[in-house]
Amino acid sequence: MTAYANRIHIPELNMTKHTSTQKTVATRRPCMSIISDLFGKSPFGPLVEHTKKVHECVELIKPLMEALSHENFILIRELHNRISKLEYEADKIKHEVRSQLPRRLFLPVDRIDLENFLRCQDKIADYTEDFSVILTIRNTPIHPSLIDKFFKLVDQMFQVTGTLLTAAVELQNLAEVSFSGAEAKKVLKWLDGLGEEEWKADRIARDLSRDIYKLEHQVETLTIIFYEKMIRKLGQIANEAENAGDMLRAMLIR
Amino acid sequence: MDILVIGIASLLGLYMAWNIGANDVANSMADAVGSKAVTVGQAVILAGICEFAGAVLVGAPVTDTVRKGIVDPNSFLALSGISHEQAAALFVIGMTSALLSAAIWLNISSFLGMPVSTTHSIVGAVAGFGIVAAGWGSVQWHKMAMIVASWFVSPVAGGIMAYILFKFINKSILGRERPTKAAILYAPYLVSAVTATVVLATIYKGLKNVICNLKWLTPEVSIIITIAVSILSGVIARIVLKRRLKGKDKLPVGEQLELVEQVFVPIVIITSCSVAFAHGANDVANAIGPLAAVVRVVQTGTVVQKVGVPFWVLVLGGTGIVIGLATYGYRVMRTVGTKITEITPSRGVAADLAATATVLICTRLKLPISTTHTLVGAILGIGLARGLGGVNKSVTNKIFGAWFVTVPAAAILCIILFLVGRFCFFDYLTVVCTK
Repeated sequence: MTAYANRIHIPELNMTKHTSTQKTVATRRPCMSIISDLFGKSPFGPLVEHTKKVHECVELIKPLMEALSHENFILIRELHNRISKLEYEADKIKHEVRSQLPRRLFLPVDRIDLENFLRCQDKIADYTEDFSVILTIRNTPIHPSLIDKFFKLVDQMFQVTGTLLTAAVELQNLAEVSFSGAEAKKVLKWLDGLGEEEWKADRIARDLSRDIYKLEHQVETLTIIFYEKMIRKLGQIANEAENAGDMLRAMLIR
Repeated sequence: MDILVIGIASLLGLYMAWNIGANDVANSMADAVGSKAVTVGQAVILAGICEFAGAVLVGAPVTDTVRKGIVDPNSFLALSGISHEQAAALFVIGMTSALLSAAIWLNISSFLGMPVSTTHSIVGAVAGFGIVAAGWGSVQWHKMAMIVASWFVSPVAGGIMAYILFKFINKSILGRERPTKAAILYAPYLVSAVTATVVLATIYKGLKNVICNLKWLTPEVSIIITIAVSILSGVIARIVLKRRLKGKDKLPVGEQLELVEQVFVPIVIITSCSVAFAHGANDVANAIGPLAAVVRVVQTGTVVQKVGVPFWVLVLGGTGIVIGLATYGYRVMRTVGTKITEITPSRGVAADLAATATVLICTRLKLPISTTHTLVGAILGIGLARGLGGVNKSVTNKIFGAWFVTVPAAAILCIILFLVGRFCFFDYLTVVCTK
């Protein structure tokens, strides 16, 4: 039923879109004003929207791990669906931001930095989805001796992404104060700790890897491979958050 | 017969003024409308009042330039084999065709979607007829060079000034840890600067034009008045700000910034009004400069113009602008208001103040510049100070493109109309100008 409803709805949606663009062209012609042509739409509003979506996405990693520790694979599948939907929405916002960055737009920050930042931030959502995919490919319960360290890794990764995303949400405010002054200093200070936090996450991951290989003879090899996959993704998420932080810093310092 | 000639020229002048009111005025109030400080309706009323005041009070100097500064009327007398009356007739035909061609060119360009300045069209047109009617020598090239140079300088000056102003606002208020506290301290200075600019422009040049017998209003006295009024406004601003912002410095920075932006709302209304005032002062000349020339020539029967711009001509120009605004300009205002959503009151103040100061200085120097382009320069300056989310660079290319086309196009159009006019009306006008 819903599928049909959607299918019927789509052409309707297109049609209204079409007429609305025609209308703006028709009304804009006589009422032209250079001043209003001068103003492009600021990309920072949608950029913060993207940050929030990515955050929503990452936030589901913890429930995912909890579901895994309880071996609730149905819930994992459900969570995976939610993450995948959020990731798709984040993607859409990313395209919206990109479409608002035509070359002719003169931005208050370096365009390359901004684009790289957006890419890194988007990768955080991508990798989160990858992580949830790994959990759905194969039911891999976590060995009791590893659970604590796994959660420690997840927490540390959260430390990194959380810092980055709180800083990134400030972008709108930063644009308000033209990327300088007390507000910029505050955000830069937040970002300062990012590298160290990421390094800590790396260390926990290494530690965890060692523990995993200690179980070489107790669990299946395939299980070990999946553990490794999970650790790698979590590490990548933290890494990408650090990269995004670097880009954000570059934008501020220009 | 005098009445007929003056009547036709007046209608053309009114039409040009209508064009200015319809297309340009919306830009002068753009910052106030865009930052939602006023509604479109309020903006139309405020702009109408300020444009009219600017045109009538301070419009005369630039009008004089268009009237006799670009093409030297005396060079017509120097033409060999031409009588006094014939010279006058040529001048009348030329100025009328300048008006007509500028109006036609404006309509063509707005049909093509080019951002054309009325100032550039009229200056091009007047120069064009001068060249054909009385030769290259009749155009006062040093003056012309100054005018063209001012077209480059005014947007750049507006840009630099806006850049500095916005940096100041940002450094001293927005970028502070406690913006509300900083606003109480520094915003009064801005209010003083705004008041000083507006008051100085109004009384120094303006009042003298309307009330001639103000012997006591010497430059020194007007500067003293300006300083007094600006200090007073600064003090009042401080009291008001203290009452509104005291104790708000514990709020989160985001909320404080919002409060501070609200403080800028009344200021941006005043500065936008002053842009409208300055616009009226400078741009009314585009419509009535040639008209004033025609009126004086027909009245005196000679091209030698010793007396100033007739007062009723200034009123006519101001009225035309207001009519243009009321009949069509409000629509442009509405599009401007919906499209400029990124500007905040603080940015608006910086851009407006810079544009006003630049335009009024140029008005004092009797230079016809484009108010809109100055404002564009000022807004770009704020973009350079990282104050705007995104500025469309291609607009500047468009402006420059339209620029280089406008002056020659208006000149050529005017030459054609002049030749036709001379062929048809030369004898008739010679009779009219015979006193």
